[in-house]
Amino acid sequence: MAQLELFSQTLISGFLLGGLYALIGLGMALIMGVMRIINLAHGDIMMVAMYIAYWLYVLLGIDPYISVFIAAPALFVFGLGAQKYLLTPVMKVDSILPHNQVILTVGMAMVLSNLATVFFTGNYRSVPVSYASSAWYLTDIWKGSPIELSLSLPWTLSFVIAVVITIALWIFLGKTDMGKSIRATAQDLDAARLMGVNVDRMRMVTFGLGCALVACAGCLFIPIYYLYPSLGKQFTNIGFVITVIGGMGSTNGAVIGGLILGIFESMTATYIGMGWAPVGRFAIFVLALVFLPGGIVSIFRWKKARR
Amino acid sequence: MKVLKLIAASICTIVFCALGAQARSITFGVPLPLTGTNAKFGEIEKKSYEIARDEINARGGIRGMKIVLTFEDSQGKPEISRSIIERLIDVKKQPLVFGEYSSSCSKAIAAVAEERNVPYLVVTGAADDITQQHYKYVFRMNPSNAYYATGFMSFLEHVVKPKTMAILYESSDFGTSGAEDMVNQARRAGIRILIKEQYEKGAVDFKPILSKVKAARPDVIYMVSYVMDAALLMRQIKELRIDAKLFAGGAAGFAIPEFIDNAKDASEYVVTATLWSPQVAYPGSKQFAEKYKRMYQDYPSYHGAEAYSALYIIKNVLTRARTWKPGDIRAAFKTTNMMTAFGPIRFVDRAGYTNQNFMDTLVMQVIRGQHETIWPIKYASAKYIYPIPKWKNRR
Repeated sequence: MAQLELFSQTLISGFLLGGLYALIGLGMALIMGVMRIINLAHGDIMMVAMYIAYWLYVLLGIDPYISVFIAAPALFVFGLGAQKYLLTPVMKVDSILPHNQVILTVGMAMVLSNLATVFFTGNYRSVPVSYASSAWYLTDIWKGSPIELSLSLPWTLSFVIAVVITIALWIFLGKTDMGKSIRATAQDLDAARLMGVNVDRMRMVTFGLGCALVACAGCLFIPIYYLYPSLGKQFTNIGFVITVIGGMGSTNGAVIGGLILGIFESMTATYIGMGWAPVGRFAIFVLALVFLPGGIVSIFRWKKARR
Repeated sequence: MKVLKLIAASICTIVFCALGAQARSITFGVPLPLTGTNAKFGEIEKKSYEIARDEINARGGIRGMKIVLTFEDSQGKPEISRSIIERLIDVKKQPLVFGEYSSSCSKAIAAVAEERNVPYLVVTGAADDITQQHYKYVFRMNPSNAYYATGFMSFLEHVVKPKTMAILYESSDFGTSGAEDMVNQARRAGIRILIKEQYEKGAVDFKPILSKVKAARPDVIYMVSYVMDAALLMRQIKELRIDAKLFAGGAAGFAIPEFIDNAKDASEYVVTATLWSPQVAYPGSKQFAEKYKRMYQDYPSYHGAEAYSALYIIKNVLTRARTWKPGDIRAAFKTTNMMTAFGPIRFVDRAGYTNQNFMDTLVMQVIRGQHETIWPIKYASAKYIYPIPKWKNRR
């Protein structure tokens, strides 16, 4: 019975963590799909959003979950600007290296984290919301339950909001004109241009959207985590791994990849040892690259093709 | 000619004044890491030495002589602190030396001091072997590493009486050595270690590993973490309702006020080992802590209390020494028996150590959102709360 409790609790933790990971991976996959680059400033953009949420809470008392509606539009605009004034000009420059833009995102990451250090010092901060360690318990609901499971309030709330945002993005990409244009740009750049899609504009919107998504993730992480200027790298890594597992550039793949990574990490922590979690993360990264270069989505595509 | 005379006269005056000042003051060079990675601690110690200097000078100094301190930056490098000390002893003819922050620098200085037969007071270096070399002229006021947790272990032995323990620690030098020490101490005390797990610093979710701890049902959960991980751990322990008999932290992240700010009510009843705390009931320690806070907006760490007390020990020793020859100063060190803001100081030879101060280390507990010293009872600022209530019954 204790084993069952341990397993279920681990599964719950992994699922909740995976949902949040998925939201980080989603923005990165979207940018990768449309622009064919890995945005290595992804985690640092998340860090900026977290500082926005932090200061909104400290100065104005705004709850981090409400900051989603402030930080996401702010970073959407930031993303538009970054694409228009930084990434697009760089794309036109000839160089010996094929991926100028990727290098530019590395530079952006460094500038952002160093600016944060200058302005906010290297101190660790957290938003001490009152519900930070509230939870629901199985034994409170079902008195005779043989096992005790708990469901953290902020984790669950963050997870649910992440799911809502994911569904909204899915509807946007599937049903709206602009969403369809973005997908067309991702699928075939030249064909999209021939069909009259304003490719440059789609790129701008995509980069903005990617930034807004990770900004949401940042706000959702604030109540359960803490922040410091150099926290971005860790989440860039996670986003990168998810994008690769999911299949480069596939948004559906990113969601599944995020859930897989979350559950995998939790299981590793419980049954092997928490020190192994980062090793495991990069082990599946390498395995995915070698044995499943197309990511998880390639399995679905392959099945569809056989049918 | 007149001008020359005037210059000569003024030079004479300056020289006499300087000599006069010299006669009424005594200068100590203090090596400290003022730049480099340990600079933060060097800074805390420097400020604390200055507070002690001003206090002692205001009360007449040492045998009527004002103390002058010159701080020498060692950058935390043993070879630099070694050359600083050589200069202080050979050129400045200082009767004794003290200072430095890290163990490696203290070790380098100890070797020089012993070679030159000049007494050296180790203030913060904690590596065990500094006072295990049978050095005659090296005295250490702070407990060595192996004795950091003695207070905590005696609290366990007398109050909690645990049979089993789980240890969680971050995968760094600091975390690993802290965990290893605890494993050894627990083995000696007959406590069985059920789980010993490391985690990656900066982890988001500790619940899987904590679920495992919960399933193992240890009496004590001992954690070696920095402050943010410490707060996350306690918050998630509360979330999972893990009811151990005692939650304990190995100093560092658990011993500072930020831990309570971040973990909120989840930090209640958590105990932690520490060498010193701002509200411990040693005479003068509260005053020192408040004074430091007034001047620098923050409470000092135990390093500050050590530095502050070190100068009082120097004063005590030099006042009692028959002459200021090394042999007499050493004799005065040997017979030291005083109380400082850092605690009682006596240099004894015991258990393979020479000239080592053995003192009770402290245990703090979070009580009503405040760190209180609870152990040893004679220095306690509040009565410990044990057994602690189950999570379900809190509030």
